Amino acid sequence: MISYFVRRILLIPITFMCITFLVYFVMRSAPGGPIEQARQQIMMQDGGGGGGAAGEDLELPQAAIDQLKRYYKLDKSKPHGYLIWLGLAPDEDKGDRFSGIVQGDFGRSYLWSDPVIETITSRFPISIYFGLIGYFATWLVCVPLGIKKALNHRSMFDTGSSMAVFLGYSIPGFVAAMILMLLFSTELIGCDWFPLGGFRSEGWDDMWAKGEVWWCIKDQLHHTFIPIIGYVMGGFATMTILMKNSLLDNLGADYVRTAFAKGLPENRVVFVHALRNSMIPLCVSIGHAIGLMLAGSFLLEKTCNIPGLGLLGFESIVGRDYPVIMGVLVFAVLIKLVGNILSDIVLAFVDPRVRFS
Amino acid sequence: MDVLSFLLKLVVVVAGGWLMTTRAIPWIFVRLARLVGFRAKITPVTRRRVDRFKRIKRGYWAFRLLSTLFVISLFLEVIVSGRALVVVYDGEVAFPAVAEWVDNAAFFTDVNTFNKASDFGQIGESEVDYRQFDEWSEDPGALRSEIANRTADADADAAEIAASAPTADDKEWKHKAHQRKVTKLEKRRGEIETLTANLDVFENGTAFAVMPLYPYSPSEFRHEFEKNPPNKPSFSTGLLLGTDVSGRDLVPLMAYAFRISLSFALIVAFVGYFVGIIVGGVQGYFGGWTDILSQRFVEIWGSIPFLFTIMIIASILRPSFLILVGLLILLRAWLGITYYVRGEFYREKSKDYVHAAIASGVSDRKIILKHILPNSIVPIVTFAPFAIVGYVNALVSLDFLGFGLPAGTPSWGGLLRQGLENITFYPHLVIAPVVALALTLYCVVMIGEAVREAFDPKVFSRLR
Repeated sequence: MISYFVRRILLIPITFMCITFLVYFVMRSAPGGPIEQARQQIMMQDGGGGGGAAGEDLELPQAAIDQLKRYYKLDKSKPHGYLIWLGLAPDEDKGDRFSGIVQGDFGRSYLWSDPVIETITSRFPISIYFGLIGYFATWLVCVPLGIKKALNHRSMFDTGSSMAVFLGYSIPGFVAAMILMLLFSTELIGCDWFPLGGFRSEGWDDMWAKGEVWWCIKDQLHHTFIPIIGYVMGGFATMTILMKNSLLDNLGADYVRTAFAKGLPENRVVFVHALRNSMIPLCVSIGHAIGLMLAGSFLLEKTCNIPGLGLLGFESIVGRDYPVIMGVLVFAVLIKLVGNILSDIVLAFVDPRVRFS
Repeated sequence: MDVLSFLLKLVVVVAGGWLMTTRAIPWIFVRLARLVGFRAKITPVTRRRVDRFKRIKRGYWAFRLLSTLFVISLFLEVIVSGRALVVVYDGEVAFPAVAEWVDNAAFFTDVNTFNKASDFGQIGESEVDYRQFDEWSEDPGALRSEIANRTADADADAAEIAASAPTADDKEWKHKAHQRKVTKLEKRRGEIETLTANLDVFENGTAFAVMPLYPYSPSEFRHEFEKNPPNKPSFSTGLLLGTDVSGRDLVPLMAYAFRISLSFALIVAFVGYFVGIIVGGVQGYFGGWTDILSQRFVEIWGSIPFLFTIMIIASILRPSFLILVGLLILLRAWLGITYYVRGEFYREKSKDYVHAAIASGVSDRKIILKHILPNSIVPIVTFAPFAIVGYVNALVSLDFLGFGLPAGTPSWGGLLRQGLENITFYPHLVIAPVVALALTLYCVVMIGEAVREAFDPKVFSRLR
């Protein structure tokens, strides 16, 4: 088993390098790189909208182009540039030191001109906040619902709630959040209860400094509610059905029959014997949920205007901020890979039958 | 008459779509299959599964509804369009909507869809205004009042021009400007004369047009209202769903977006499954190093955050429909099914009938295609509808973020983005696409659930 995990962990760097190289390659080959951007910026500053003819004269001097090329490693070949970016080849500009993402140096953002790593680490907790709460909220909804559906299989309640589950499956989380915002953040039906997006109110930090903790918590929860329901809607259908089917499978198993035959009360059989085993597939979903947290958050964070990692990724793509794009990509890939391994570890812990080979 | 003709067209469209879906298309498929020498023998197992599917009423009716709607939507150019189905004017006959449909269907050739306005009793070199033509041919009085209006306008302008006529001691440019005005006025007089001459044709009844069911195209801007777009839905203006921020009518937008979304998902699912089944089949059948290496590759490929990667590539490429289809297939669609097919092939390969086939010297290709594949069809069929839901949602998400189909393409996601920007004042921009999306995908999920129940029935027995 340990050798399995060692192999899985060894696979991380390979996977990681394949993906980042792919994206690095695509972005290096793409038109409209940093030099093009610098040129446009200069044109904006000098000419404003000075007509088409002015653009020709405002060509960057060759020396500046060379400097930019050198700065962005465009004068190197793609594999070489990639190795420098990765931190596995010395960087001439930094005195032949190795300085890349392996050393934690992601470069500087074009848009915000902060170090990328700072931007990302300042945004990341926000995504985690919503992701974790969303994930636990999903559990709180799905497990009881799944149990109830399994125990009353083929009853009115089961069929009725299946409708809701299917609807939840067909509507993506961000659309659900949008519907909720329409209903409860606008005057459409006269229930203007929740704010229209945002992570916190404007003066949150001031209030926090003043010591108005109660107000701050209330405000925070106020802003959290709608996005969380969006998160729950995103994963709730699959998880409920998983819970239901898994419990039904177990209720039909021989050991449950034995337990009944021994004369145990039904509640004990269901909640102690069967339920514990039927939670196994759900536990495995932890790793995937972590991956989904990021994938889904592009949409939800854009919809609810939450300044997390997803919105950062979105803004960086819109602004062609390549260091940030690469940084967010690195984070996304790492989270996903770690999540997969976490799934396996959790599975190994909760299910002693599992033997990896 | 108006309501009557609308109902008549509606009946024709629905009945035609129904017959097409339930009769014509199956017939064509069977004929084509026979032509290439493929005779489907329905095995008793399949027969039982299909019967079971038909017995699940919800799923079966969702399937009939959705397939009919999709087949109808394939002919949207002749159902929801600003171009007339038939225009007849004084011996000239044209079928602009049909021509548009043929042009779009036969994408490899160019079909002329253009009809000059002056050939059809209107003014100018541009395309005929079919709705106006329809109005005039039904009620020549409309043309007559149009002529009267134009004459009154021209008369008023003529009086004004005459009053402001320059005298001999005015500067030269004033004379020139005056001359220009006079020429313009003469041109307008000429137009009025043409219209008056054409009035005959409209009155004799040799001019008529048949408009499609809903006479507006998704690319047309409706700026005839007092308010600037977006316009809210209302019965008094005849806008059933309102307009979007640039003034396009939401009814055709919804209809065309339905077609685009579903065909996108169907193509992605079909091609993705094709590739995935081949990869998974090869992995499961040959096993060994082929399996280990390709499985590692699938694992690595599957760890790519596909939405983010597509967004990056799309921000650079500005993808067309086909490129987007290709990207989604490449990065996602073929992966999921390989796991199932691989597992299924592993299981089937160890069974006796495969051993027998191998022993009697049947080729690998034939064993994979004719022996194992039909027996491992269950996961493939049961996962397809849910995959389609995923791809529709992927397209909606990409369009919503602005990295999807080219700007201007009718899409639910694009409307959702407009809706989010205007959520406080124009809720119809959110409601319309959400309802369309939810209903469509709900139908697909229903079908999926019924297919799963029919192909892979789970019998839960439990003691109480």
